[in-house]
Amino acid sequence: MNVKTRNKRRRWMAFAAIPLLLAAMLYGVGSGSVQISVVEIWRVLFGEGEAVHETIIWNIRLPRVLVGLLTGACLAASGALLQGVMRNPLADPGIVGVSAGGGLAAVIALVLFPQFSYMLPGFAFIGALVASLVIYVLAWDGGSSPVKIVLAGIAVNALLGGIMNGIMVLNSDRIQSVIPWLAGGLSGRSWPHLEFLLPYAIVGLGLVPFAAKTSNLLMLGDQSAQSLGQHVERQRFLIIALASLLAGAAVSVAGLIGFVGLIVPHAVRLALGEDYRYLLPFSMVGGAILLVVADTAARSWFDPLELPAGVLLACIGAPFFLMLLKKRRLIR
Amino acid sequence: MALDIRDLSYKLERFELSSINETIPTGQITAIVGRNGSGKSTLLRMISRITKPDNGLILYEGQPGKAYSRNQFARMVSMLGQDKGQIPDITVRELVALGRAPHQSSFRSRLTSNDEQAIKWAISTVGIAHNEDRMFHTLSGGEQQKARIAMALAQESRILLLDEPTTYLDMSHQLELMEMLRRLNQKLGLTIVMVLHDLQQAAAFSDHIIAMESGRIVASGAPKSVIDQHFMLNVFGVIAKIDLQGEYPVIVPIPQHFKEETSMVIVTNVSQITKGNGEKLIERFNKVGKVEGMKGFLGLEVMMTENTKDYDEVTVSTRWESKEDFQAWTRSEAFRESHSHREIPDYIISNKIAFYDVKVVRQPLQQAEPQSV
Repeated sequence: MNVKTRNKRRRWMAFAAIPLLLAAMLYGVGSGSVQISVVEIWRVLFGEGEAVHETIIWNIRLPRVLVGLLTGACLAASGALLQGVMRNPLADPGIVGVSAGGGLAAVIALVLFPQFSYMLPGFAFIGALVASLVIYVLAWDGGSSPVKIVLAGIAVNALLGGIMNGIMVLNSDRIQSVIPWLAGGLSGRSWPHLEFLLPYAIVGLGLVPFAAKTSNLLMLGDQSAQSLGQHVERQRFLIIALASLLAGAAVSVAGLIGFVGLIVPHAVRLALGEDYRYLLPFSMVGGAILLVVADTAARSWFDPLELPAGVLLACIGAPFFLMLLKKRRLIR
Repeated sequence: MALDIRDLSYKLERFELSSINETIPTGQITAIVGRNGSGKSTLLRMISRITKPDNGLILYEGQPGKAYSRNQFARMVSMLGQDKGQIPDITVRELVALGRAPHQSSFRSRLTSNDEQAIKWAISTVGIAHNEDRMFHTLSGGEQQKARIAMALAQESRILLLDEPTTYLDMSHQLELMEMLRRLNQKLGLTIVMVLHDLQQAAAFSDHIIAMESGRIVASGAPKSVIDQHFMLNVFGVIAKIDLQGEYPVIVPIPQHFKEETSMVIVTNVSQITKGNGEKLIERFNKVGKVEGMKGFLGLEVMMTENTKDYDEVTVSTRWESKEDFQAWTRSEAFRESHSHREIPDYIISNKIAFYDVKVVRQPLQQAEPQSV
């Protein structure tokens, strides 16, 4: 990539990010089994719309879109951070077991302790963090090598998935509440979900920009980062913890949604370069847009049926990702 | 003294570094040399505090490493490792800017005018100003190395550590790089410590040489005083002539015709023979013949000892590439022919056959003729 093209793209994206985000939100609020025009949305927002539309927008679509924005941003940022810190293009909360940790904790909470289900994000965060710690400890050998972290992560992911399935089979009478959550999607997500997601998401996303400089330095390799004055192990741990917080928050409301954490950072990296000061914020915006658009498409294209966003993402995301791979070398 | 190394030791599995005591002079170029695996890079990594020693202490400008914060340390010592596979897809200038990290706070990477100046200086010092907006990975190997050095220079440290900076570079880039380091050293008084593979380069460009062998420092001092024939044999196991005509010692290796290690089988047949009849047996052996044509046959000696009172001893020794080759001989027509229809003559008192599996570790030394260059 040429530096001029890259910088031009960065400038364009800086201008386009917010309008694109708003457009995605409008699409999300306006589309569905009942189409609502932009003008009508405008009226509803100022309390002048039709009562039906008002109900649809305020009670169903707007909270769902907001949940989608936050979840998408969390997943993409988590993926971008993990890819940098593990120096592996395959790192994604869904692949390296961080999401699975959150997922297992959430399943335990939903199935075995349903009375605590209001604390789901907390559970998921702790689960994701414990999973990352286990991965970290497994990969530790007088220092943690990125490759080992990914391998340990994949093993932990398989183990946690197995336990999760085991719990569900053994408690098959009580998993009704879990299935839609597990499929990954935003179906039925509303204000209460937004309410318990919000604090975690705000803290997590708010901390992301502070990880940019360190992520850039860690990309140079442990030795170089250390020569530049970085406390490599501590920084890596903190970044993994932050990625766990983000993944845990996302998993707790939207279940296991794959691909956002993988596709978005890679697409941004290809378009805008590897500098984390750009990669992180644009990944957040990109993740938010992608998840809202995918969710809206999944529920409106097949009306009256509603596809989980995770399914659509996998169906579109995987080929898109392969196309990117084909087009450019992601792994040097 | 820029660095004062005291009683340093380090052990990792079978590799051991011990009793390292050394001082590295301020404002000079120090080269660490030695064979592969002698501990050069490990020593450098301990100096850069990337590897922690098991015991011992390094004083940096009189203070132990612990006395400095990570950023303070990085402002004093910068290190350029061998590995360059990790650099992200960014421009040269952006890479060099990362070298300013120890001068910035942990979270901000906005450049101050000081930073800008340092980056500009580093880029022009290594001579890549025309490439500063190129993506790092589009540069040639030599230019990439310069960019990495510029990053280390942007750190504005007083001590620069380099691990084999000239590896993978062609000769002109190697020279250019070494001359640049020499200039930096002279102009800024920068203390440079580098691991070098090429002893000749080390002799040409350093003020101080530290030679390592099996995890120990075996010699240190000015190249002129340290490098001699004895040194070459001890440290590198190379027989060489040292030419002191120029500014620095020129090393002229003398070829030794070492062959690779081979193994062979020696079969000896020792017969004790009644006094005075040795010649008869030898005559008999002479008739056998044909062994020379066998596969894997390396040679034959017939030896006679007449210096005991009671008997003569005849030893026939054959050398073979392998045991199988010898066995093939014993099964061959020629062998059977020579051994059948023959009775053991009565002058043979006893007879003993022995096998030796031997390794040839060195061919006979040839006369080392000093070659003129």
